[in-house]
Amino acid sequence: MLKGIITLLVFQFLGECITKLFELLVPGPVIGMVLLLIFLMIRKRSFESLDNAVFIHLRYLPLLFIPAAMGIITQADIISKEFWAILISLVLGTIIALAFSAKLMDYLTIKQERKR
Amino acid sequence: MNFEALIQYISSTPLTWLILTIGSFKLGIIIYEKFNKHTLLQPIIISYVVIMSALFITGISYEEYFKSVEIIHFFLGPATVALALPLYNNLKYIKSLFIPIMITLVIAGVLSILIAVGLLWILDAKLPTILSMTTKSITAPIAIITSEQIGAIPSLAVGFVIITGIIGALLGTAIFKFIKIKHDTSKGFALGLISHGIGTARAVEISEKAAAFSALAMGLCGIFTAVFLPLIIQLFS
Repeated sequence: MLKGIITLLVFQFLGECITKLFELLVPGPVIGMVLLLIFLMIRKRSFESLDNAVFIHLRYLPLLFIPAAMGIITQADIISKEFWAILISLVLGTIIALAFSAKLMDYLTIKQERKR
Repeated sequence: MNFEALIQYISSTPLTWLILTIGSFKLGIIIYEKFNKHTLLQPIIISYVVIMSALFITGISYEEYFKSVEIIHFFLGPATVALALPLYNNLKYIKSLFIPIMITLVIAGVLSILIAVGLLWILDAKLPTILSMTTKSITAPIAIITSEQIGAIPSLAVGFVIITGIIGALLGTAIFKFIKIKHDTSKGFALGLISHGIGTARAVEISEKAAAFSALAMGLCGIFTAVFLPLIIQLFS
């Protein structure tokens, strides 16, 4: 599995280097993700140690964002002042966006089917 | 026996907070699985309760806590890179519906941010809140690193991501029924696009095809947002 872990770290490293070199605004790990995707598309398949390394990183993914998530404890001020704005935006925004994207995708899919 | 030295050790070692963080998450998983993986009982919710109570009781500051568990935070980077593999595995589905996928990704992806941000703006929210809302539909690791990039508040951003995921997963099926969505691929794609991983867990229950399209949408939306959002925000500021 070490080969897989090294692969992930090297691609992240490359991504971070590219964002620094070209002064990109995209986060380095996202560039790393795109590079790994391109690498897999060229190689046409994954390999076992990469599969395993990916599995252990993604299986407990929510654990990895607990340290950042707990910072909410320092944001009590914003949350209490803007509670209703945040709640309405989240609930209404999610419902509208979900309905819109499903309907748009469905409409375009049906249109494409008819063409054939 | 030197109780003072013991207490001194417990309150200063990162182990205390590492054990509490990983332990509370494991407890969260046990509870989540006991209740048939109910959407409202996301394992991280238990972690929020346990860790925030512990911080409150001990009076440890968030900065001190973060320093203790920073090693966990570090793995967000490689985990983001790791997202390339599930995306690659589902990429074969992109060919069958290439145009619908690309159009929906761009239009719905942009619109979902505009609606949420617009609602906040109408309701008089401040800029940090608005910026933190822009990453609400992308998977949390990418949302955290992108929100750091655009000057938003990462912890608020993660909170918004989790709540958006839960709302979408809870209401998705009812919404799709109400507006008569025909294809499972559309349902899955919308769930992944708007409600990322939590939505994808819900899509798995709809069908295999819905799950694949959800994972595909989640990966594409993460990349799309992380690439263009910082650019657009820089243009405005």
